[in-house]
Amino acid sequence: MVAKYVMLADTTRCINCKACEVACRAEWDTPLGYSRDWVKEVEYVNAKGLPEVQLFPGRCQHCDDPPCVEVCPSGASWKRDDGIVLVDHAICSGCELCVPACPYEARWLNPVTNTISKCTFCQPRIDKGLQPACVETCVGRALIFGDANDPNSEVSQLLKAKEWQKLVTDEVNIGPNHYYYTAGKAIPDTVMPKLNERHLSGTLMENIVNPLGTLGIGGMMAVFLGAGIKKLIDRRQDVSNKEVSHEQH
Amino acid sequence: MQESNQSGKASRRAFLKGMMGTAVASTAALSLDAQARIHAPHELETLKDYEEHWGFCDMCYWRCGLKVRTRDGKAFKIDGNPEHPLNRGVVCGKGNSGIQVAFAPNRLKQPMERTGARGDNKWRPMPWDEALDKVAHELNKVKEKYGPQALVMIGHGTWEKPYHRLAHAFGTPNTTSPVFGLCCGPRGVANMLVAGRELGGNETLDLENCKYFLMMGRNVTESLHNGETLGWIDGVANGAKVTYVDPRYTITASKADEWLSIRPLTDHAFLLALIHVVIKGGLYDKQFVAEYVTGLDELAAKVEQYTPEWQEEITTIPADTVRRIALEMAQKAPAVLVYSPRRLTRSSNDLGTGMSISILNSLFGVWDRTGGIFTPQTFKIPEITLPEFPHAHVARGETGGDFDFAQTPFATDAEGKIQRADGAGVVGRWPLANAQYGLTNEMWRAMAEQDPYPLKALLTAGGNGFSNSTDYDTIRKALLNMDFYVAADVIPNEMNSYADILLPEASYLERYDDLQTGGMQEGFVALREPAMQPLHDTKGSWDICKALSQRMGLEAWFPHDSIEALLEDRLKKAGLSLAELKEKGVIKIPADPKINFPREHGGKSVFPTPSGKIELIPSQLQALGMADAIEWAEQPRPKDGEFHFTFGRVGFHTHARTQDNIWLNYFMPENLLWIHPDAAAKLGISDGETVEVKDPKGRGGKIAAKVTPRIRPDTVFTVHGFGHWDTRMTTAVGKGLSDSLLASDTREKHIGSISMGMNMVTVTKV
Repeated sequence: MVAKYVMLADTTRCINCKACEVACRAEWDTPLGYSRDWVKEVEYVNAKGLPEVQLFPGRCQHCDDPPCVEVCPSGASWKRDDGIVLVDHAICSGCELCVPACPYEARWLNPVTNTISKCTFCQPRIDKGLQPACVETCVGRALIFGDANDPNSEVSQLLKAKEWQKLVTDEVNIGPNHYYYTAGKAIPDTVMPKLNERHLSGTLMENIVNPLGTLGIGGMMAVFLGAGIKKLIDRRQDVSNKEVSHEQH
Repeated sequence: MQESNQSGKASRRAFLKGMMGTAVASTAALSLDAQARIHAPHELETLKDYEEHWGFCDMCYWRCGLKVRTRDGKAFKIDGNPEHPLNRGVVCGKGNSGIQVAFAPNRLKQPMERTGARGDNKWRPMPWDEALDKVAHELNKVKEKYGPQALVMIGHGTWEKPYHRLAHAFGTPNTTSPVFGLCCGPRGVANMLVAGRELGGNETLDLENCKYFLMMGRNVTESLHNGETLGWIDGVANGAKVTYVDPRYTITASKADEWLSIRPLTDHAFLLALIHVVIKGGLYDKQFVAEYVTGLDELAAKVEQYTPEWQEEITTIPADTVRRIALEMAQKAPAVLVYSPRRLTRSSNDLGTGMSISILNSLFGVWDRTGGIFTPQTFKIPEITLPEFPHAHVARGETGGDFDFAQTPFATDAEGKIQRADGAGVVGRWPLANAQYGLTNEMWRAMAEQDPYPLKALLTAGGNGFSNSTDYDTIRKALLNMDFYVAADVIPNEMNSYADILLPEASYLERYDDLQTGGMQEGFVALREPAMQPLHDTKGSWDICKALSQRMGLEAWFPHDSIEALLEDRLKKAGLSLAELKEKGVIKIPADPKINFPREHGGKSVFPTPSGKIELIPSQLQALGMADAIEWAEQPRPKDGEFHFTFGRVGFHTHARTQDNIWLNYFMPENLLWIHPDAAAKLGISDGETVEVKDPKGRGGKIAAKVTPRIRPDTVFTVHGFGHWDTRMTTAVGKGLSDSLLASDTREKHIGSISMGMNMVTVTKV
């Protein structure tokens, strides 16, 4: 069976030490001021009037139904069979339409490469059998990564053993593959995904421009094909007319 | 990675962006992309090749084992060594940011001589030979004029060792490291007096199996040491109850079952009441006490007065809570720990606080029990053979530089040899203070006052007196008093801006250092090797000291041709080799439950006190006339309009030396003053507003407020290490306020260590 990669974050073991963020920065050489992952520290006063702090390490949620892939006009944003959402930097135009499409704010334009950057679950590392850099360095071993389709994997065992939550709301429910354990505590609203207003222009792209583009491409290909055939016929005629066999142009 | 191949990418992107509004398929460029969207196979990133080198971390003093990845001769990523017992493969944000120490644009890059006034930061570069000649000449000049004891050596790094050796060879006993007088000293002394054992620089606690943690201000998740923190989190995940005692609600508090917001400086009263309940209620481990403990009756008489009700008014913790905690702990004993803070340098009687913690742990019988305190194993790696040093106090512990009281007894008789200027280990002065690491606070005072004898030369290796001590005037006066000051460091800071000669050190990613030996349940020896060639004109500390020894006629103390030869020599004496150590970066003795937990396996515990037993009323303290140390001593309280001043750590900064690290500065560029909403409302302060904090001497400054219920209303807090003014620290300079300006400059009355928590401050809206 094809793998389905997921990330688990046990928030009771996260200490906001920033090891994950710095490891990611060093591993993928992200420019200062930009990060592919983060830790959100939420402080509030609970029902008993006492302070509480919860910690939420986050990154691209590698959704089942990723709007970033849908809105991408070039096809650079794509989803691999194992569930990892990736950016093909060779064809990413850096148009940034995917940035507001992501309700987890996991994407940003890399000013050095002028392409979109985001967490890849460390695809080049996991393809070599290594763990993602954030997981390998996590001081509290709060981050656990693996194949949810493998019943023997640690993530499968943990998913069965504990109550995990996902960052989904009535408004945003796109099948994230990042799970959170909070020992029963509710996840604060500030951590939850929000639809970005700018996403509307992306939806326009997704629903109108992209289909039109596809139509346009079809038309263009027909034109090219027609032109090619005409050129071939013309050339044949040219050759038979002149009975000389060498290139003219 | 495609990211590196970007020729033409920017222009194409701009082109496409321009098209986006009317992007309907009319250009060849878009059609190519669109075709890709339909069926072109995607390019995948692949992992480029890299090399790995062994090391141990220098970003804090826990010293985690590392693997440093390099590519094209440059380090680019630090990983944990999974075989290393101190971190089991994990590395924190600080450790991961070590790359930016090596590549820091502000690094000290070549030897320099001061050309302006001290602290003015006017320098001229000079060649190494000239710098070393000058250092040797100036130090010998001071020696001729004032004697060798006029040299003070202050080290603060995992690389201070050769400098200590050089200073001892030079003939001065005045070598210090802040670790004792400014940090963990009282804790170590207290455990030594009570049990003859101390917890070590790497605490010997069986965290995974502990069932009840009473955290006495030990912010284990933010004063972050990887192996300890991971062990503690495992313990909590395994079901341990956590009661966290601190004026502040930290990340550690957020993991606890219960937060007791204790009044600052009153931990001792709370602990005395716990002892009272444990003894009165017979909640102690009777079998253990009968076999291993002396002084119970005498202690019972002393704590008779310290009832839970008595402590309530002092600590503000309800009496019932004390009773309940004593009972809860007794039920889980011996898998319980009264968890000591590390920087136990706050009140006028830290010895009493430390002893109370040790006594409680002893009453619960936690020594050598699962979930308690274990007996470590050490890998015996003999030191190299050296001539005797001209003065005493030079024995170094075998656990890689931790205190070793066994080799440096409390009261060293000088026998004609010159006594330490800070009085550490000196009869009649501070006999309880460790003479190996000294009282750095007292040494600064001795330098400022030139008392008890002239101190005219200073050699520092790392550290920053301005930030780790508490009176700028004392430090400045001490530095200005020097005939000659040579500073060796990797990064610039306020203290080394006063140096006459600056010797730039290679970073820990660019050099060998002496072996790391340690004792946890496993014994181990670990390697630091260069991951890359030095980026600048720098040298490692061993090379610097060897070169200086040759110029000062002290070469007998640096007999090896290279540090690799020294490592090989030491390893050979232990029946090992450098080649063997290079296989995994660490060689271990496996954990042995019979040694780590003898009483779980039919063995006996060993307590190397004078009586061979745990001494609840320590005989050594009685001999020194200090048996009153266990008694409660009144502590200052804020008057109306005043606050207790407290400071502490976050998990991604170490002391005052990472604020200029660009990766770590990103997470917290400046510190804030934590103040409770009630107190803030009274003063008309809103969250984020700038306030002025002042102590009674008028010291202090401006800082932004963080209004939060995570602090007591009578206390304010800020993160340590900010408020730098050295303009060479271009990232950190001018950001935040230094807590060193506000912490108190008093001393613990039995040991001589610093007491930083005694100041009260006022806060006003600016």
